[in-house]
Amino acid sequence: MAVLTLENIARDFSDGRQVRRVLFPTNLRFEPGELTVLSGPSGSGKTTLLSIIGLVLRPTEGCLHLGERDVTALSDSDAALLRLRDYGFVFQQPMLIEGLSVMENIALAFAVQGARPPKDLRGKAEALLESLGLHATSHMQPRLLSGGMKQRASIARALIKDPAILLCDEPTSALDAESGQAVMAILKRIAIEEGRIVIVVSHDARVFPYADRLVKLENGTVVADTHERYAEAKETR
Amino acid sequence: MRSLTALRMVVHDRSSTAGALLGVVAIVFLVGQQLSILFGLLNYMSVLVDHSGADAWVMSANVRNADAGNSVSVRFMDRAIGLEEVEWAEPVLIGNGLFKTGDGSFESVRVVGIRRPRLAGGPWEFEKADERALLDLDSVTVDRLDLAKLGNPRLEQVTEIGDSRVRIGAISDGARGFQGTLVFASLDKVREIARTPPGRYSAILVRFKPGVSKEAALGKLRAVMPPGAVYATDELSRLTRRYYFAHTGIGGSFGFSTIIAVLIGVVIISLTMYTSVLSRARDFAVMRAIGGRRRDIAVVVVSEVLIIAGVGVFVGFLMLAVLLNMTHGSAIPSYFPRQVPPLLAAGALAVSLLGSLVALRVALRAEPASVFH
Repeated sequence: MAVLTLENIARDFSDGRQVRRVLFPTNLRFEPGELTVLSGPSGSGKTTLLSIIGLVLRPTEGCLHLGERDVTALSDSDAALLRLRDYGFVFQQPMLIEGLSVMENIALAFAVQGARPPKDLRGKAEALLESLGLHATSHMQPRLLSGGMKQRASIARALIKDPAILLCDEPTSALDAESGQAVMAILKRIAIEEGRIVIVVSHDARVFPYADRLVKLENGTVVADTHERYAEAKETR
Repeated sequence: MRSLTALRMVVHDRSSTAGALLGVVAIVFLVGQQLSILFGLLNYMSVLVDHSGADAWVMSANVRNADAGNSVSVRFMDRAIGLEEVEWAEPVLIGNGLFKTGDGSFESVRVVGIRRPRLAGGPWEFEKADERALLDLDSVTVDRLDLAKLGNPRLEQVTEIGDSRVRIGAISDGARGFQGTLVFASLDKVREIARTPPGRYSAILVRFKPGVSKEAALGKLRAVMPPGAVYATDELSRLTRRYYFAHTGIGGSFGFSTIIAVLIGVVIISLTMYTSVLSRARDFAVMRAIGGRRRDIAVVVVSEVLIIAGVGVFVGFLMLAVLLNMTHGSAIPSYFPRQVPPLLAAGALAVSLLGSLVALRVALRAEPASVFH
């Protein structure tokens, strides 16, 4: 599994009259098998950082490397292909497509570019849903699922491709405490057991105990990166 | 999977699908029925020419339509018969008269005189009796669709046209003119009604022998006739249709109503597809985020439009078929040439795609980064 490296990544936004820097030059390195939580108050730049890491937003400055490959300035099509192949996304809201069944939502993650889904997809998706506690839901419409079930279905959609990188934006914010903890436990297992890079954006303190590393942002700057100290703190608890 | 996604979206978004469907059905049905009436009227315009059974018409020089020629001499018929390529040549005399109805009122009619015994240029289908009725000097035919206008005359009823005694000998079917009610009679009877000088006719119909090259025969016929006096039947038919189409306001009227029907359809499709795509903007952003390219979003939107357009075309044609069935044989002119449905379907698809351009533009603007907000 590849390492994700950010070198002096910065991002400006312009409203046409003035340019505002929302993310100041940032250097971070994400290793497989690690669950990182990006935390900070609203407007701290964490979603911007996640968007850049997810190749849906280009940085104004700096470089982004996936393994040896510079993926900073990929074309739209190349970035889409990389997202399709190597990335999984879990959004703040489950964002399952209404009208498609759970299985079809999962299959879409494979076939959004028109490729035929693999033959074993159904079995794999069923097993994945089973492991996420969504037994016999594959044929159901998203509107028939509870919030927690939808979010777990969206995790299944993100994991079906075995992505090297899983990006989660406030995955527990729309869930009750119990569902939120269940989702975080799943993400933690995915990071450790399956050796993926898992990055979770959250300002929910209940998420922090699941993190191997806690990166705090304020006003577009990383103010704390408590990789080891946070792990130690957990061990001493 | 992209087409399946489109299908699922179409099925799920019922209200917008119904709206867009209405737009497509409106285009197919409204334009279709306009076209059927137009083609029905076009048939009326050249009905005498199209059913004459002749290969060529000899008329006065440079006519603008089949109904507006000066009379020609009987000598033209002799010249035509003199050509070895000609199987037969028959005169036709067309005049105007007033048909006396049962209640004593009068109805303007065009009397078409044909020569016995061949009766070339005469009625071709009959509801009651047949062409043999025209072998009798006083017999005339009237069309079943004109019966009400003529006071519902019965078969064998005696009446007058232009002070001449006539008897209803047969009821024709489909012999309906654009310029006026057509009444077929013998040449002598029409000459009597229209008071045409002897030896003069409205046209000479010419039929070439089987196996003869029509082009070559037409060339020879033209060589023995005054310049601009010989018309191939299909040429005269086109000329007549074009004349009425351009000079009676029919073309403008039908063109305008067709454009309005298309515009209404495009507006309905545009608005409903735009609304549908707006409500799906988040889904398109998700699809982009999970690896979809702009062209994949375009495939989904275009597939949605094609699905809706396909169903709309089917429903539109179904409604059109019902309408055409209901109006078939009625006084409402309706005719749908075989080549029109595919063209209309292709046009409806093209217009649907045109109507979805705004929606497509919105869908393509869906930014994957927006899913993180």
